[in-house]
Amino acid sequence: MTEKWKITLHVYRQKENEAPHFDNFTLEVNPDEYVLDAVERAWAFHDRTICFRHACHHSTCGACGMRVNGVEKLTCITSIRDVTHNGATLQVEPLRNFPVVSDLAVDMGSLYRKMETVGGRAVLPVTEAEIEKPPSKWEADDSQYIRLSDCIECGLCISACPVAATTPEYLGPAPLAAAQDQGLKRKPELLSIVDSEDGVWRCHSAFECTAVCPSFVDPARRIMNLRTQVVDMRLRKLFGKA
Amino acid sequence: MDQTRHQPSAGKFWSWFIPVGRQAGGWAFALNRVTAIGLTFYLFLHLAVLSLLAQGPGSYDKFLALTENPFIKFGEWAVVAAVFLHGLNGIRIILTSFGVGVTRQKQLFYGFMIVAVFVILIFTARMY
Amino acid sequence: MSKPHVIVIGAGFTGVATAHDLALRGCDVTVVERGDLCNGTSGRTHGLLHSGGRYAVKDKESAIECIDENMILRKIVPQVIEPNGGLFMALDESDLAYAEQFIESCQECHIPIEELTPEQALTLEPNINPKVLIAFLIPDGTFDPLRLALAFAGTAKHHGATFRTFTEVEGLLTDGAGNVTGIKVLNRASGKSEEMRADVVVNATGAWAGHITAMAGLDAPVKPTPGIMVAYNQRFVQRALNRLNAPSDGDIVLPQRRMVVVGTTSFDAEDVDYIPTTEDQIKLMLERGSELIPGIRSAKPRGIFMAARPLFGVGSGRSIARTFKCYDHKETHNVDGFVTITGGKATTLRAMAEKTADVFWAKLNITAPCLTKETPLLSYRQYYTSPN
Repeated sequence: MTEKWKITLHVYRQKENEAPHFDNFTLEVNPDEYVLDAVERAWAFHDRTICFRHACHHSTCGACGMRVNGVEKLTCITSIRDVTHNGATLQVEPLRNFPVVSDLAVDMGSLYRKMETVGGRAVLPVTEAEIEKPPSKWEADDSQYIRLSDCIECGLCISACPVAATTPEYLGPAPLAAAQDQGLKRKPELLSIVDSEDGVWRCHSAFECTAVCPSFVDPARRIMNLRTQVVDMRLRKLFGKA
Repeated sequence: MDQTRHQPSAGKFWSWFIPVGRQAGGWAFALNRVTAIGLTFYLFLHLAVLSLLAQGPGSYDKFLALTENPFIKFGEWAVVAAVFLHGLNGIRIILTSFGVGVTRQKQLFYGFMIVAVFVILIFTARMY
Repeated sequence: MSKPHVIVIGAGFTGVATAHDLALRGCDVTVVERGDLCNGTSGRTHGLLHSGGRYAVKDKESAIECIDENMILRKIVPQVIEPNGGLFMALDESDLAYAEQFIESCQECHIPIEELTPEQALTLEPNINPKVLIAFLIPDGTFDPLRLALAFAGTAKHHGATFRTFTEVEGLLTDGAGNVTGIKVLNRASGKSEEMRADVVVNATGAWAGHITAMAGLDAPVKPTPGIMVAYNQRFVQRALNRLNAPSDGDIVLPQRRMVVVGTTSFDAEDVDYIPTTEDQIKLMLERGSELIPGIRSAKPRGIFMAARPLFGVGSGRSIARTFKCYDHKETHNVDGFVTITGGKATTLRAMAEKTADVFWAKLNITAPCLTKETPLLSYRQYYTSPN
């Protein structure tokens, strides 16, 4: 007999030419289902005008990022049990720092464009993807195996970044991480892109990006590492060793 | 995309201080900015007062009178507190910028803040 | 002569691949989608880039189509594929008995396979069930569902296609004779309705095909058939795993990023706007999955969800292939300007689009050749960088 909870889903609503507000939906849910399921139930059974983005339902597409009780989460893998309790409220809002299309759906265009600017790799050899517990000891030819990169371009990091809140031109955690992932030695053309006012130097170490990343990218560490790569390349150029 | 509205505007810095969703690193960021503003304000005040002093013995007496003011006394304490909070957090930032302790930045923050609070308490005891 | 305008309803794999094919042939295409790309069945696909091995024994036509399209997709859109091959594993007598017909059928369908001893299989994939009796290497793979669609959609956009998301079809526009001349849509972001005219309206809504045909007073014999998927939080293998036997529940395990995904089941459902998962199906996936990879027992589920396949029932539509159906409603119900495509697998999206576009390209008396087989797709991010 599956457990049943009664929760109030508090949903951010915003339609064109209307003031944003919150709507409440009383739902009966299985607490081991996900926040995305709750949103989908509200849409399917209560209010067909709710707009939200979702695709894969298993943390590989990056479409369903939202703020759940104020914290950035990938709603397809965030179970209801983890964020609320029986009889309580569950608040969902769209991500910050992206234009809101409608309700919970935002326009991710700026993130994708910046990822394209740095040429972020979509697939890469598993040996470069830094899995902590690889399925087997990496043999010399294990680099033949290709996998999709960790970053799913979900935008949670951009939403959580306090600098992205005030500076739309900032490249942002995910694109900078994607640049670091390629390495300046391998792609020296990235140097001028990341060594800039809105690149690697705009980060002010809030570390919120790594705190919310659902996909093991650890952008904060990568940005710090990218800085050392930038300084290294600049010093080499300065002393003519480039 | 013709359906987009509500572009983000620069200057939404008040979102730095909204507690919901902020984690340790975000608090450190916000704290550093507040203390920085405070210390910058103090710097200007300090220069203004110094220029007062340069105007002769009469102003010096005025200055001494000021220092008895409880608000100013609090301000002096606040400056010292800000220096320690900003300074120690700043060391944390320097360390992480060089790649040291990035994965432990939360613990570094809590650790340094405990030291800062400890030092401030000692200072407070000595000052009053 | 002005370009014909085609409206495609639905931005899942069928819709985006069709838009891509038509746009490359110089057609003016508008795709309307009530949500965002892939928010129906396509987003929730298991992600298996089929080699056809799964169908070789019972459905050779389907298997050949799979292996052909598998090779094409590897060439035109490698950016969304984990191309590491697959293993068909035999764990018991029944599986072993299947091996002979499996080998014969794969050869007939020109699907390259290589037989492995248990030791060889375990060397390649140390985390599979050590009791494996025999295994076959086969060119399966994994793909990223949304990004596969974005790649087709982005390339289509680059060639002039327009995508209107959060735009829901409220009704079909008809002329005096009952033929379809366009659609009436609700812009869900603004709440405003508008009308859009077209030479042909393509219903590519998959499991929801019946909702759209009902607007013309027709029914589409599509049977939504959901199944469960469970994603676990560890990448145990590099290759796709299939049970060496006739297709059944829970006999596929795929790697994807840092997960493995176990699927699936099959049951009927009337309304597929929301399908709750059930305890017994989750348990079944755990059991069946851990037969292939014992380590799954100690892994944690990361995501659990249902996906509704659009299986077509028996109907009067002309079948282009047994893998999917294209109903030209002029032939089925004497309603011109309206075409429904349904069925299909993700792996064969490009072929589906090619064959469908051939159908009504002929309707519009244009004979531009299909270019999608050889045209590499642009970066999937093109969907967002294209000025459209």
